[in-house]
Amino acid sequence: MLRVPLTRAICLTHSSRVLVTASARLQSNIPAKAPEKVEVFIDDQPVMVAPGTTVLQAAAQIGVEIPRFCYHERLAVAGNCRMCLVEVEKSPKPVAACAMPVMKGWRIKTNSEMTRKAREGVMEFLLANHPLDCPICDQGGECDLQDQAMVFGSDRSRFTDIDHAGKRAVEDKDIGPLVKTIMTRCIHCTRCIRFASEIAGVDDFGTTGRGNEMQVGTYVEKLFLTELSGNVIDLCPVGALTNKPYSFSARPWEVRKIDSIDVLDALGSNIVVSTRTGEVLRILPRENEDINEEWLSDKSRFACDGLKRQRLITPMLRKPNGELEAVEWETALIGVAQAVQNAGDKVAAVAGSLVDAEQLIAVKDLLNRLGSELLCTEQKFPTADGTSGTDFRSNYLLNSSIAACEEADLVLLVGTNPRYEAPLLNTRLRKGYVHKEQDIALIGPKVDLSYRYEHLGNSSSIVQDIASGKHPFAQRLKSAKRPLVIVGANALSRSDGKAFLAGLHSFANQLTPEDKNWKVWNVLQTNASQVAALDMGYKAGVEEIVAAGPKVLFLLGADGGAINKDNIPKDCFVVYLGHHGDNGAPLAHAILPGAAYTEKQATYVNTEGRAQQTLVAITPPGMARDDWKIIRALSEVIGTSLPYDNLDEIRDRLEDVAPHLVRYGRLEENNFYAQAAQLAKLQASSLQGDIDVKQRTLADFFMTDSISRASPTMAKCVQAVKKAQATA
Amino acid sequence: MLRNTLISSNSLIAKNQSQLLKVCSVTATNNQKRDQKTMPVVDRANPEKLAASAFGWKQSNWADWTVARLDDLLNWGRKGSIWPLTFGLACCAVEMMHIAAPRYDMDRYGVVFRASPRQADCIIVAGTVTNKMAPALRKVFDQMPEPRWVISMGSCANGGGYYHYSYSVVRGCDRIIPVDIYVPGCPPTAEALMYGVLQLQKKVKRMRTLQMWYRK
Amino acid sequence: MRIRDLAIYFGFDKLQRLYQDVKIHGGLLMAIQKFRRFDDLKSGRLIGQDKYGNKYYENLYYFFGRSRWVEYPEYKNCEMDGSQVAPEWSGWLSYRTDAPPYADPIKIYTKYKWMLDHSENLSGTKHAYMPYSTTKPKIEAWVPKKDD
Repeated sequence: MLRVPLTRAICLTHSSRVLVTASARLQSNIPAKAPEKVEVFIDDQPVMVAPGTTVLQAAAQIGVEIPRFCYHERLAVAGNCRMCLVEVEKSPKPVAACAMPVMKGWRIKTNSEMTRKAREGVMEFLLANHPLDCPICDQGGECDLQDQAMVFGSDRSRFTDIDHAGKRAVEDKDIGPLVKTIMTRCIHCTRCIRFASEIAGVDDFGTTGRGNEMQVGTYVEKLFLTELSGNVIDLCPVGALTNKPYSFSARPWEVRKIDSIDVLDALGSNIVVSTRTGEVLRILPRENEDINEEWLSDKSRFACDGLKRQRLITPMLRKPNGELEAVEWETALIGVAQAVQNAGDKVAAVAGSLVDAEQLIAVKDLLNRLGSELLCTEQKFPTADGTSGTDFRSNYLLNSSIAACEEADLVLLVGTNPRYEAPLLNTRLRKGYVHKEQDIALIGPKVDLSYRYEHLGNSSSIVQDIASGKHPFAQRLKSAKRPLVIVGANALSRSDGKAFLAGLHSFANQLTPEDKNWKVWNVLQTNASQVAALDMGYKAGVEEIVAAGPKVLFLLGADGGAINKDNIPKDCFVVYLGHHGDNGAPLAHAILPGAAYTEKQATYVNTEGRAQQTLVAITPPGMARDDWKIIRALSEVIGTSLPYDNLDEIRDRLEDVAPHLVRYGRLEENNFYAQAAQLAKLQASSLQGDIDVKQRTLADFFMTDSISRASPTMAKCVQAVKKAQATA
Repeated sequence: MLRNTLISSNSLIAKNQSQLLKVCSVTATNNQKRDQKTMPVVDRANPEKLAASAFGWKQSNWADWTVARLDDLLNWGRKGSIWPLTFGLACCAVEMMHIAAPRYDMDRYGVVFRASPRQADCIIVAGTVTNKMAPALRKVFDQMPEPRWVISMGSCANGGGYYHYSYSVVRGCDRIIPVDIYVPGCPPTAEALMYGVLQLQKKVKRMRTLQMWYRK
Repeated sequence: MRIRDLAIYFGFDKLQRLYQDVKIHGGLLMAIQKFRRFDDLKSGRLIGQDKYGNKYYENLYYFFGRSRWVEYPEYKNCEMDGSQVAPEWSGWLSYRTDAPPYADPIKIYTKYKWMLDHSENLSGTKHAYMPYSTTKPKIEAWVPKKDD
C-alpha cells in the first residue's frame, strides 16, 4: 500500500483538516472493495499481490530484498535515492521499486545486468560526494552505504580530482545535545525530514537548495526539539546523524548486545543494551509491533549514562554522629536485621518507580512474615470506599493495548500529556490522527501534543459534566464507533482522584462501541513498577504508612518524594534499597545497594499489563547485588528465611501470586469491567480545581526519575531546551 | 697447576682501604636523606641475621616447627626442579632459547624445558598473545598439574606492549591466566628471564603448602 | 713430572684443589656452610667490598663468565638476589670493565647528586611497588552529603 506521500503528510499537520478526511477516506475505501490480487513475476517467481503494492513490497513478499536508502516502511515514500532501481521487462528505463505500484503480469528483474548497472551508477553518484572517512565515522560497521557499496558498488573508482576542487562539503548543523551532525556525509535520503514531520510532528527539517547545492537542515539554526529526536540516528543510513553522547566510544562489532526492557516510562519499550567492558554504552530500540514499533523516546535512549553516576556501590550504615559510612554487607545486613527485630510488626515498605516484580514479591513476603501489611507504592491511586480501586486489574490498566490506540476514532485524554508521559503512545495517537481519521480531545492544561486536538478546558468540572452526560462531548463519545478514554495516573493520584475514577469509569462502561471487545476505559501509568505492585496487592499511596508511623521503613528505590523527612517519625529506621543516591538515600539509616534495570534479570509489567523481562547486560557495580537476593539474604539474618533461592523459584512464587507476571510478552485479557464499574458508583464528592499535568513542556520530560536525574546528557538536554525556549 | 696465586684478602683491603672508606663515607652522608625503601646499608658490627628458612626458625610449638621444616624440604625440591613449558609466541622466544644455551645454562638451576603441559610446573609466556592464541593458552594452562606457575615474559605478554591497541591482541596474558612473575623488557634479555626464574624460585620458597593444610 | 701428569690424568689435582678450597674457607664445616649458601665452593682473589657487605672475587682459573663472582654477606643467609649488588660493582661483575670501581680510570659508574640511592628488588616483600590505577572509575559512586 502506498503511504501518504510526504507533501500531504506535511500539510496534514497544519492547514487543511478537510484534506485529511478526504484523503484518509479515499484510502480507507480501498480495502473495502475486496481487491482482486494481481500476479507479478519477481525474477520469474510468480507472486500474488494486492493492487497498489509497490515493486519493492512485492519483492519483499517472496524474500527478495531490493537495496534502498530513502525507503522506510514506516515513513512516506520519497523515491529520491534511486538505489532501488530495478528492471521491468518491456520498460525502456529501470523503475524505482519503492514508488512504483505493480501492474498485472509485470516481470521484474532484480538481478539483471541493467539493474546491476543502474545500482552501480547510483552508488557511484552517491559516493562521488560522500567523504571517505569511514575509519573515523561512528556509523562504520552499521552503515547502509558501506554495506551496499560493498555489495552493489563498483569495484573501482572513476573519481579523479584533477582540479583539486575537493568533494562537496557542507557545514555541520547544531541540532542539540543528542544528535551529532556531519552533514558532508548526508546523501539526501530525507528520512530524517520525513520522520520529523510525520512521526514526531515537528516540521523543523527540510531541504534547501537544489542539485549539488542541496542541503538538509533547519534553514535557520534551530535545535531539533522533540522527545523522539534519537530515532533519526537509527533512520539515517549513513553517518550524517549520529549519537552525540556515544560518539567515538565503540564500534558495533565490539559491543555486546543484550535484549532488554526500558523502565523509564510505563510503556516497557523493547530495547537493546549495548555494553562493552562492563559499561552501558548506548541503548537502541528493538522492534516490537505491539509496543514501541521501532522507535524509542530520548529519555529511554540517552539516559543510560545516568547508570554510571551517583551510584550506590557499597552498603552503608549511619554512624551515631549522623554520617553514612561504607560497611561490609554482613555488617549492614546485621544492622538492618537488628532494627527490624526491634520493630516487631511496625515495618513498612514503599516501592518507587523503577522496582521490579521479583523485588516487590520478596519484600512483600518478608513483611508479611513479620506481620506487617504496610506495603505501598509511591504513586497514589484512588482506593477509598465506593470505588473498587485496585481490586480489579481493569481499573488501573491501559486496557485497550497500546497498539489498538491508533485504531480508535475518538479519544478523550484526561489529565495527561501523553507526549511526555508516554512518547510512544503519543506517536500511536498521532498515527491514528494522520492516517486514520482519529479525533482527539483533551481535558487538562493546553499542551503541545504534536497534533491538533480539541481542548475541552482544564477545569475538572468538565470531567463531571462528561461523566454525567451533560457535556456535548459525551454525546460524541456515545456515538463514536471506537471511543477511548485515557486518564493519566497523575490525575487519579489527586486527592479527589476517586471521583475521576468513579465518574469516568462508569461513563466509559455505558458507552457501546461497535466491537464488543473494545475497551474504552484506559489508565496511562507513568511508573514502570506501578502495575506489578498493584497486581501484587501493594496499596497505592503512602498515607497509610504515614498514619501508622512505622519503626522500620524500607524505601525500594523510592525517590519520588512521597516520603520525606517530615512525614515519617523521627525514630523511624529508614532502609534504602536501590541503585542511585537520589532523593531517598539521604534519608536512610542503612543503604543496601541494588541493581539497575540493565544489571538484573527482572520482570516489569507495563501500563497495558504486559509482563516483560529485562536481561543482565552488565554486572551491578561494586558491591551492589540483585535486589531480591538482598531481601532474601536479609530475611535469613532476621531469622525468617524466604523460601526461594534462585530466580526460577522466586518466579514460581510470582506465578502463585499472579500467574500473568511470568507470562512474558503476552497481553492478558482483562475482565470484570461491569463489576468494576458497578462498584465505582459516582460519588457525592465533587471535583474541584483545575487539572494539571506534571510534564508540560519538553524541559519537564528529560529528568523524571533517579536514573535520568543522574544523567549528564539529560541535564544538557534540559539546559538546551530552556535556552531555546528563552530565546524563542 | 694453579695459575693464580691467592692473594690474602687482608693485604688487598689494606692496600685500598683509603678508597674503600671514601666510598663508604660518601654514601653514609647520602644515607640520611635516603628513601626508606632503598636497601639497608650493613651495620657491620651487628647485622640482623636472617634465617635460612623463609618461615623463620622460631615457631610457637614443635608441631608448627616440624610442618615448617617439611615445607622447607618440599619447597627446596620444587624450586630446584622448575620445569617450564615453552610458550614461545614471538621474538621473546628467541631470548627464551638463550637461557637454555650454555652461556646462561638454565639447567644448573634444574630448569628444563618440557614440551608437554602435563609434565610442566611453569609456563613461560614469551611473546604477543593474540586473541586467536588466547583459548590455546588457557587450555594449555588448564592441562598443567598443580602446583603451577606462570612467567609472563616481555611487554606484550605483560600488558599487550607495542600491540596494546591492536584489535587482535590480548592486553596482557594475565587477562587469561594468573601470572606469578612479570619480566619486563622488549624483549627481555636472557639474563632478565633468568632473573625472573630466580625470582620464581624465591616465590616457591615461600609456599606454605603443608602449613596451610595443617592449619585447617 | 710424570707423576704429576699421572695425577692429573686420574683427577687427583681436582682433589687437591678441593682440599685447598676447603682449607682456604677455614675447614670442612665452614666449607659446607659456604656450599649450602652458594651451591658452589670457589676461592679467589678478593677485589673489593661494597657498602652492603658484598665481597667481590676474581679467579682467572675459571673460564670467562665464571671468573668473577660476588659473595653476599653472611647475615643475608639464603636471602640473596642479583639486585643486591651495588651499582658501581655491576659493571665489573658483568665484564663491562676490568677495573674495580675504586680504580676505574674511565669511570664507568659515576654517582651524581641527583641519583637515588640503590635499592634491591623489593618484589615479593611488603615494600613491593604496587601500581595503582590512574584511570577514572567507570562508575561514579554517590557520596552522602555531610550535613544530611
